[in-house]
Amino acid sequence: MSTLITSLKTSLTGYVRYRGREGHLSFVLHRLTGLGTLLFLTIHIIDMAAFYWAPDFFRAALDLYRTWPYQIGEIALVFAVLFHGANGIRIAVVDMFLPHKWAIQAERNAVRWTLAITLVLWLPAALYMGIRIFNPEFNLFFG
Amino acid sequence: MRYSGILMIPLVWGHIILQDVIVGVHAIDANYVAARWGALFWQVYDIALLGFAFAHGMNGLRNVLTDFIRSQSVMRALNVLLFLVWLTLTVIGAVAIMLATQSALATVTSAS
Repeated sequence: MSTLITSLKTSLTGYVRYRGREGHLSFVLHRLTGLGTLLFLTIHIIDMAAFYWAPDFFRAALDLYRTWPYQIGEIALVFAVLFHGANGIRIAVVDMFLPHKWAIQAERNAVRWTLAITLVLWLPAALYMGIRIFNPEFNLFFG
Repeated sequence: MRYSGILMIPLVWGHIILQDVIVGVHAIDANYVAARWGALFWQVYDIALLGFAFAHGMNGLRNVLTDFIRSQSVMRALNVLLFLVWLTLTVIGAVAIMLATQSALATVTSAS
């Protein structure tokens, strides 16, 4: 059994071709948001470690993060973290406490709820961060 | 994965909502980081973030790779490589969080 499972390999085209609707979409999004977040996290550990090890590099990294392409990326990063977390809760809760919810229709509903919750959390943050790209002084929280 | 994941909901969501949304990258500079890492609470918080998030992410990458890599020897080599990258970055990051405050405070004080 274990040999069978370890010999099951996939390919990138298999990711796109499989038509599993919501379940498939959430699987692909979970991987993309996870890998994207890991990419930024790796860079982020290096730039924050540079605060101690190489302060000039830290300042250069901050200047780069203040440019608009990075700020758009930052909005995408917030989406990635919110979706990955919300979807992760869905998977863990269904797996541990509600295994009957793996039935296809129930899973489709759960995925739609997960996307809805993600958007409700993300859209206000995205709007706020989007305005701040044009106006760095814009701040609702500190006078 | 799932226990570190559930713990990271408050840790990571709190971190991005505070730093990316509320404070924002324009308000973050060396003085901000020095003040933050001058507080034991934020040092512990950031070390927990570093420890849980990076381990969770590297383990996830390992899981994704096992779906694509057919050769077991290549996979073993990648496991070793990922472990070394994880260990190196975790150590340099944790050292920075623990030791930065003294040197940073010295710089800020001498500059003012």
